[in-house]
Order: sequence, then structure tokens, then C-alpha cells
Amino acid sequence: MTTDAWYDEQRRLTPDDVRAVTFPLTRWGRHGYDEEPVRAFVADVHAEMVRLINERASLWQEVQRLRRRILGKETGNDGILFGKDDAHIHAVRILSSAQRTADRYVADAQAYSGRLTEEARARRDEIMGQAQQHADMLLEEAQTRARTAAVDAMNRDGLPPQTDHERRAVQAELAYLRTFSDVYRQHLRIYTEDVLRTIEDWETKERAAARDIPLASQHAPSIGWQHSS
Amino acid sequence: MDVARLKNSFARIAMHGDEVPLHFYSDLFLKHPETRPMFPVSMQAQRAHLVDALVSVVSGVDDLDSLTVFLRDLGRGHRKFGTLAAHYEAVGDSLLATFAHFCGDSWDATLEADWRDAYELVAGVMTAAAQEDEERYPAYWSGTVVAHERRTFDVAILTVHAEPRLEYAPGQSVAVESPARPRLWRYYSMANAPREDGTVEFHVRLVDGGAVSMALTAATAAGTGLRIGPAVGVLRLDTTSGRDVLMVAGSTGLAPLKSMLEQVTRLQQPPRVHLFFGARDADGLYDLPSLEKLAAEHLWLTVVPTVTRGRFAGHTGALADVVTSYGDWSDRDAYIAGPTEMVQDTASRLAAGGLPVSQIHVEDFGWSEP
Repeated sequence: MTTDAWYDEQRRLTPDDVRAVTFPLTRWGRHGYDEEPVRAFVADVHAEMVRLINERASLWQEVQRLRRRILGKETGNDGILFGKDDAHIHAVRILSSAQRTADRYVADAQAYSGRLTEEARARRDEIMGQAQQHADMLLEEAQTRARTAAVDAMNRDGLPPQTDHERRAVQAELAYLRTFSDVYRQHLRIYTEDVLRTIEDWETKERAAARDIPLASQHAPSIGWQHSS
Repeated sequence: MDVARLKNSFARIAMHGDEVPLHFYSDLFLKHPETRPMFPVSMQAQRAHLVDALVSVVSGVDDLDSLTVFLRDLGRGHRKFGTLAAHYEAVGDSLLATFAHFCGDSWDATLEADWRDAYELVAGVMTAAAQEDEERYPAYWSGTVVAHERRTFDVAILTVHAEPRLEYAPGQSVAVESPARPRLWRYYSMANAPREDGTVEFHVRLVDGGAVSMALTAATAAGTGLRIGPAVGVLRLDTTSGRDVLMVAGSTGLAPLKSMLEQVTRLQQPPRVHLFFGARDADGLYDLPSLEKLAAEHLWLTVVPTVTRGRFAGHTGALADVVTSYGDWSDRDAYIAGPTEMVQDTASRLAAGGLPVSQIHVEDFGWSEP
């Protein structure tokens, strides 16, 4: 049997060929496949090809080992089930599989922390949005009241309140407006503080979460989107 | 050494995908258990780094000059991991054992000799660069955070004092390791030109699930110690071209460009500079006030903030669209930094608009580290 029998010397389709494949896009207005599912499928095909190639390689090695063993028996050199090399390869496989498990744990933890951050961000956007809306509403209400008061004042322009009764009424109105403005200022302040506190809580929790996660593995950069986290 | 044969056998080995680096590291850790603690818990990214470096070496064999630059950087960069000359031998043995394993019966004495020669060449360049470096610089710089400011939910600005003094050119970056995430190094650009007091600023954006960025934004405070690698990267301000400048920054891609901007303020005859600073929303324009202050102090500087979405009293839309809508930039030197997609998009749109490719400079993180 010649070497390398499971490789064909002719150019064959490799996993990298599959991964690198691109097709021209259809022109607008014509039917074409949705790109995402096609890409996902190509990725699956690539992974499957790599898996098959590796399975085939280890089967090939197994065949070679058994063949050596049989030949060894025929030549009187009693076969040993596992040679020193075999034992080492075996150990490498066990360690590799342990490494894969460790990688998976880290990846899971990281995905979890990613989800937490995403949720925190969404929550923060929601709180900020509500606060903005609420503040807009209060402001508008205050402006409407101010406008009404101004219009009232203008209507009375030139006619200073003649009677005590009228004067008292205007003073009462003024006092009411002042109180209203104080109360709303207070109200806005408390509301803003509350919003800030909620955000702080989230930050603390998130910080705690960041501390508790023991791991790490690489992601793209930093600014380094170009290498990835 | 038969280069064609090496490339051919490497192509076959590469067909086994992730199994190859997995086998390599398992082999290395079995034969030399003392090397395991030099690596992080999860080796997933590490394996990808190794494959990237191998691909760079094998495909770069035809261009020895740039390959040498790459390998020298790689050798220098490995000092911070505690890599010693003895480790190179161990790595070489495991690499050859791995290649032999995946080549199956096509592995023979000639091919083995070819690979051994190739590896000795690579290791020789790396160790030589590391040794030269050792005479002048420490393996890593000890940094202490002197200020930590969380500008937005996602962005923190770290002011770090490095000991000894960190030498770098504006536009360059360094690898940073946080004590909360040992053995994980991430690259960050200095956001300031070198200062008298030896402090540097990093703009760190929180990446969802990003172990290091999360540690640096959320679990870091004044007093935290950091390890810092040597300055790397080829992004530099061309001060000799005489051309005016266009800068396009997406999010914390602002950091290297701001450093270069500070460099411009120190020039005798500063060029005109247009800086486009883009973010997802107005909240993401984390450093706009300081940029606007700079623009108010210097007539040659124009700052154009843009956001992709949401309420904003300025430009909205994709950064590349806003930049190109301003008209003709073909007589400028362009510097672009930020998320890969935005960088590529902007660079190709500018090139299509007539800006010569030789005048487009982008943040280049093209190297990797095994």
C-alpha cells in the first residue's frame, strides 16, 4: 500500500474552499436566496467536512496500527496492542477533549456575562427613555400653566385690581403658582435621583457579576475589533 | 529547504482545522507541563492565534522582508508572556510531532528536515529580536491606574502611569493585562501624545461578554495595577507629505487619532485637519466636549460629530456616508480607526472617490500572538 492513500493528489474540494466560496448577488427585483441561511449552511458543511476528514484520518491511523500489529505477528515480533507512541497519542486525545470541555465552560460563562450586560443596557435605555418622557411631560404641563397665567395677566393689563377682593384673588393665584413650581421642582428632583439610584444599582450588580466570573478567553479587541472582542 | 513542498504539506495539515492546534497544545502540555500556566484557561482564541501566525509565516515565505518584521514583532511580543529561549525548543518539537501526526504516511525524513530548518529560521529571528529587546526594555511595563472615569455606560477612560517610561509614537497601541483576568492580553491605543509625567490614557469600550473590557471598565479603579506590553502598530502621522488631513473615528477608534491630533498641535506648521467622530447614538460621543474645546483653540481643526441613530442635533447616518457627502477628500492623508466594518467601509468609499490607497492609513491589528 502506498503512502497517503486517503489523499487524492488531484485537486479536491477542501473545507477552506467551501468556507471561501462566494456567489454573485442577484440583481434587484429578481429572486435570490436569503444570504444568512446560506452562510449558516456553508458553515455547517465546512464543520462537517473537517469532522469527516479528521474521523477518516484517525481511522486510517487505526488501520495502519492494526496492519503493523498483524505484520509484526507474521514476522514473529509479537504485536503489542499499544506501543509507546500509541499511548502518547491516546493521552493527547484525552487532554484535547478535556481542553474542549474547559473551553466550553468559559465560553458559556462569557456568553452569560454578555447577556447580563445586554440586559442591563436595555434596562438602562428603557429607564432613560421613560425618564425623558416623564420630564418632557412635566415641562410641557408647566409651560402650559405658565402660558395660561401670562395670558390672564395680560388680560388684566392696565386694569390693576381695584378691590381688596380682586387683589386677594391675584395674590392667592400667585402663591398657588409659586407652590406649584416648588412642588414640581421637588418632584422632578426626586424622580431624577430615583432614576440615578436605579442605574447605580444596576451598575453595582453588573460590577459584582464581572468580579464573580472567574474566566476569560479572548475576544476581539478592545479597540481591536480587528482581532475580534 | 523546498518551499513548495512545505506549502503543500501545510495545506494538507490545515485541512484538519482546529484539531491541529488542539493536538499541538496537548502534545506540548504533556511533554512540558510547566508551559501550561503561561496560557489562559480557555485556549480557543489561543489556537486561532497559533493558526493565524502559522498561516502568516507559511504564506509570507515569499516576502522575507515583511515576514522578518512580523516575526521580530512576534518575538518581542512574546517576552511579556515570560517566554524563554528553552521554550522555543519545546514548541519546535511539539510542532513537528503535530505536523508528523497529521501528515500521516506522507511524513518522511526530507519533509521533517524541511520543517525543522523552517522552524529554526523562525525561532532564530524571534529569539534574536527578543534578546536585542531585552538589553533595552523590560519584559513588560508596570502600570498603575491613576484615574478611572466611566464616561458612559459603555466607555471608561483610564489614565495609567507606566514604569519605566513607555516609549511610543502617537497612533501605536500596547497589550494590556488586568489582574482580574490573568494571562489575557488585549490591545489598546494610547489616546494621548507622550507626556512629561509619563502617563497614558486608554479609551476602553465595554464589549458584551468581553472578559478584559469588562474588567477594565467595571472592576478597575485608581490604584489598580496593570501589566503593559511594548508599543506596536504601524499607524503613524505622515508629517512630511505636506497634505492636509482627514481623520475618521468610530467610537473608541478615536483613541489613536486623538493621540495623533495632539501631535499635530505640537507641529510648527500644522496641516488642516477634519475629524469625523461617529458613534451609535449621542451618548456614545463620549469625548466630544474635549474635541470641541480643542477645535475652539485651533483654527486648523474642524470636528464633525455624527450618530447612526436617535435624537441628535447634527449629522445622522453611517459614518462613511457623512464623510463622503462632504465632497472631495482626494488630496488628503486619511486616517481611519474603529470597528472593522466601519473602517473597511470608509476606506473603500474614500478610495472609490479618488483618494489614492497609499494615502489611506487604517488602524492595523494584523499581527497576532500565539
